[in-house]
Amino acid sequence: MKKAIPYLRRTIQALSFLFLLYLVIKTAFPLEIKIPVDLYLRLDPFVGIITILTKKEVILRMLPAFGVLLVVFVFGNFFCGWFCPMGTTIDFFDRILFREKKRSKEFNDQPFRRLRYGILIFSLVAGLMAFQVMYILDPISLITRTLVIAFYPPAIFVFNNLLPQVQSFLPKNSFIASTVPMPVFKVNLLIFLFFVIVLALGVVKKRFWCRYLCPLGTLFSIVSRVRMLKRFVTVDCTHCLKCVKECPAGAIPETNPQEYRQQDCVSCFKCLECPPKAVSFRFGLPRWRTVTGVDLSRRYVLGSLAFGVISALMIKANPLQSESGLRNNRLIRPPGSLPEEQFVSVCTGCGECLKVCPNNALQSTLLEAGLAGLYTPRLVPRIGYCEEFCNYCGRICPTEAIRPLPVEEKRLYQMGVAHIDKTRCIAWDTDKICLVCNEQCSYHAIIGDDKKRPIMKEEKCTGCGICENKCPVDGEAAIIVYASGVQKKLKLEDVNNNKIEVPASPAKKERSS
Amino acid sequence: MDHSPSKKITRRQFIKGATAAATFPLLSNKIPFYGSLAHAAEESDLVIAKNGSASQLLQAAMVPLGGMGRFVKKGQRVVIKANIAWARTPEQACTNNPDLLSALIKMCYDAGAKRVAVWDHTCDNYQFCFSRSGLKETAQKAGADIFSGHGRNVYKQVEIQKGKKLKTVEILKDVLESDVFINFPIPKQHFATELTLGLKNLIGIVWDMEQLHRIGLHQCIADVNTVRKPDLVVMDAIRILTTNGPKGPGKTEDIGEVITSTDIVAVDAYAATFFKHPKTGKPFKPEEIQFVKNAYDLGLGQINLSKVRMKKVTAT
Repeated sequence: MKKAIPYLRRTIQALSFLFLLYLVIKTAFPLEIKIPVDLYLRLDPFVGIITILTKKEVILRMLPAFGVLLVVFVFGNFFCGWFCPMGTTIDFFDRILFREKKRSKEFNDQPFRRLRYGILIFSLVAGLMAFQVMYILDPISLITRTLVIAFYPPAIFVFNNLLPQVQSFLPKNSFIASTVPMPVFKVNLLIFLFFVIVLALGVVKKRFWCRYLCPLGTLFSIVSRVRMLKRFVTVDCTHCLKCVKECPAGAIPETNPQEYRQQDCVSCFKCLECPPKAVSFRFGLPRWRTVTGVDLSRRYVLGSLAFGVISALMIKANPLQSESGLRNNRLIRPPGSLPEEQFVSVCTGCGECLKVCPNNALQSTLLEAGLAGLYTPRLVPRIGYCEEFCNYCGRICPTEAIRPLPVEEKRLYQMGVAHIDKTRCIAWDTDKICLVCNEQCSYHAIIGDDKKRPIMKEEKCTGCGICENKCPVDGEAAIIVYASGVQKKLKLEDVNNNKIEVPASPAKKERSS
Repeated sequence: MDHSPSKKITRRQFIKGATAAATFPLLSNKIPFYGSLAHAAEESDLVIAKNGSASQLLQAAMVPLGGMGRFVKKGQRVVIKANIAWARTPEQACTNNPDLLSALIKMCYDAGAKRVAVWDHTCDNYQFCFSRSGLKETAQKAGADIFSGHGRNVYKQVEIQKGKKLKTVEILKDVLESDVFINFPIPKQHFATELTLGLKNLIGIVWDMEQLHRIGLHQCIADVNTVRKPDLVVMDAIRILTTNGPKGPGKTEDIGEVITSTDIVAVDAYAATFFKHPKTGKPFKPEEIQFVKNAYDLGLGQINLSKVRMKKVTAT
């Protein structure tokens, strides 16, 4: 039984990761899956707490996260060791890449131990000041973002190149289907490098990331300190230090293996493989007591606090985030997004919306929105346009940074306004008939004059960008969408010739002419 | 067997008949629209069916052409180029009528087709086009495959020998390689080219559609049509879009007609008259649609309807 536990744990870890992978793959058209595809993010209390702090309102879809905190209170920090898909990935590569023997034994981790507490304090304080960039360190957000941006497009590339090879074996009569459109993301290499760094930190210490950096793990640690399921060691302990070596979280002090640091224990139950069978786990009353806790000096806590406050103030005083002339007018946010200032603090940069967007229109920002908006989504019409009858990004956003709007409402949301560059436009510059923009526009916001040259009707334009996307001019389009500042809903009357005029039934009506 | 002398063919009669039989097809190739006279059951070149449900209209419209059996033989592969370009619902008349598509697919299978594929290179996202237009469900229910040309791997670069402006173009491989190619357009108003008709529907077999606008749209439409002439044109004029085309939604008009022909230009010439010229208010003359005129000049068909054997039938 006790020997089965490590296998059980590994199986659950693998299943948990595969389930996340399944959900990420299912985050696509037609989005009819019953389970919320952002399930893992909804179970993430770090995202939950920070979002409540930054948004100053409770988000219903984030409530399951607090259930997880409750489970951690009872069973200790089981999440990191059993379910965390990032932890699973780290464990997996750890087995392949690193040998325990080669790691330096004399690694004094005391100064590192408090690092993650600093990060958490920073995040909480900055969150209260309505600024958040620490989402980039959230493990769930990190793993989905990495999967979506760094691994999904290459997988499609390989698939598309293998497809013709497979099809050549098929009987001649069969029709050949199109390849899958490959999504492209500008920041993919950076995201991949960050992921590699997280894995490579394992060379210093097993699960370095989880022990010293991960803010979600820290949150669980704090709750885990008052855990109810506890480890007890009887006097049979022979000080063989097997448990000290085995413990993946380094929670058992070498000097005193009969004790353990409750906050670090990930409930993997590896220490149950005790030669004299001295270790057992039992339920007990919560108690704030621990051995050799982390050395959080008052100076360190205050320093983290101050750092968080000052960073938040810095961001607020940054020209990109204030009403200065530097505002990036090509920064178009997804339809139904919160106002920019709120958006950058609520968006976790998980990349779910980038995955679900059917036209690859949403791209991850780097510094276009300032450091505060790192890895947040933006609409890049030249790559893809916003589909009129699609509201998927709002439907799957775990923190509702993109609000879940019904399709009929979403299609009236104005993200930006298109502007025609008459010096480059084919119709204005030459005598050719083009009007691709007019033909493609879903809202009849582009009309043609008597010489069949396009003219904008700004009041009808939603900035979906289909015109910019399809413009046949080489390179940069001759019609460009500029962000309209605050998103607003267009009145239906303004686009009323877009109203669907449906005669009662085709059979009843006679030909009128 | 009757061997009575009166029924015996004399040598002279035989030579006369043989010469006539040999020369008539040679001559007939020179005269447009009489090229396929050899087919027995065929009575006319352009059939307009009115009054009836979608499948009745199609049935009625195919009979004077010689039935589907004339075009689709046993074991052949059929490609239907439908118009599924936009993510619109069927009643908005921006995409084909699902009932008619279903009837068309079934008719192909009844004629012995091995496989039927419906193709379009959509303008909106193909998944939304296919689901909102209801055509994916329809096609699959009728047993056909439905494909979107969103991947470059399904195209093949071809030279256009007859092309005046467009010299090379990437065309759907299946269109080029299929045994039977059916063009299945829906007529719509179109701001840039006045109308979207059968000839324009074939822009949806081209990979880089937008580029054609740079080269010269009207001539390109005609040039693309020289690559593969459709074996059959079935025009879906049950309901047409008369304003805000081609994407709509706009005003629709219930014409209730299905037009079939082997001559794509003649079909377009006829369908053009459904629409009123925005300036004069009178129905369009076929010559007023530049791409129809260009196609006629390239010898793709007959623009003058008085030279076409036209037949109007009632489905019920």
